[in-house]
Amino acid sequence: MARPVDFVFDATLASDPRFLLFVRALAGEGASAAGFSDDERARIELAVVEGFTNVIRHAYHDRHDQPIALRLRAPEGLFSLEIEDRARFADPTKFASRPLDQIRPGGLGVHLMKTTMDVVDYRKNEFGGTTLTLTKRRPGGPS
Amino acid sequence: MNVTVEQLAKGVLLVVEGQVDMHTSPELRGRLREALERKSSPIVVDLTKVAFIDSSGLATLIEGLQAVGKFGGKLRLCGLAPAVRNLFKLSNLISIFDIRETREDATK
Repeated sequence: MARPVDFVFDATLASDPRFLLFVRALAGEGASAAGFSDDERARIELAVVEGFTNVIRHAYHDRHDQPIALRLRAPEGLFSLEIEDRARFADPTKFASRPLDQIRPGGLGVHLMKTTMDVVDYRKNEFGGTTLTLTKRRPGGPS
Repeated sequence: MNVTVEQLAKGVLLVVEGQVDMHTSPELRGRLREALERKSSPIVVDLTKVAFIDSSGLATLIEGLQAVGKFGGKLRLCGLAPAVRNLFKLSNLISIFDIRETREDATK
């Protein structure tokens, strides 16, 4: 296995679901470069796709021409993905994950992000929108 | 993503290939709906060539499961890769679906 590397990567994409394949690949390659196992990589891919999808669906209400900034950060010990929109700030206290014993479509995205990442943080950004930060400790890093 | 439909002596087989997400799940939903309208049973969804599925894909399968139950039919899944199986576990759905290891077992 290659030695893990520290890196920074920034991109801005349109809020188009066709980019989900690219977003997943980008996060997955970043996770592998940061030293995560294939199993952890798959979890990180899932979290970023759920986050990106939520922005398209809930922040931009399925408009596919709005900007989404994606930032990967892998400083020593940490791996983080920021997903920034320019819609209205989404109050995280109003996000309702459905109880897992209710078998119905929808409401799983936030649960999956929280389950697969160490920290899921929502903050109002300078554009009045929301910046979602998904963070996971890198293997072998400080606890 | 691509969905290939194969009529079985009894039921229908949907072979899914690629990534199932918000962008691609409507195609899977459409193929499931066609099978549901014909009241095919079992509907077997082969996920062997699916490396990734998200909550949009899960929602599509849950819709299919609920719809097939309305006419007493069966929906079976097979060929789940480890990451896909793990998603079903994380979502507490592993025991809700009829999941078989192989296509042969699922189409019996």
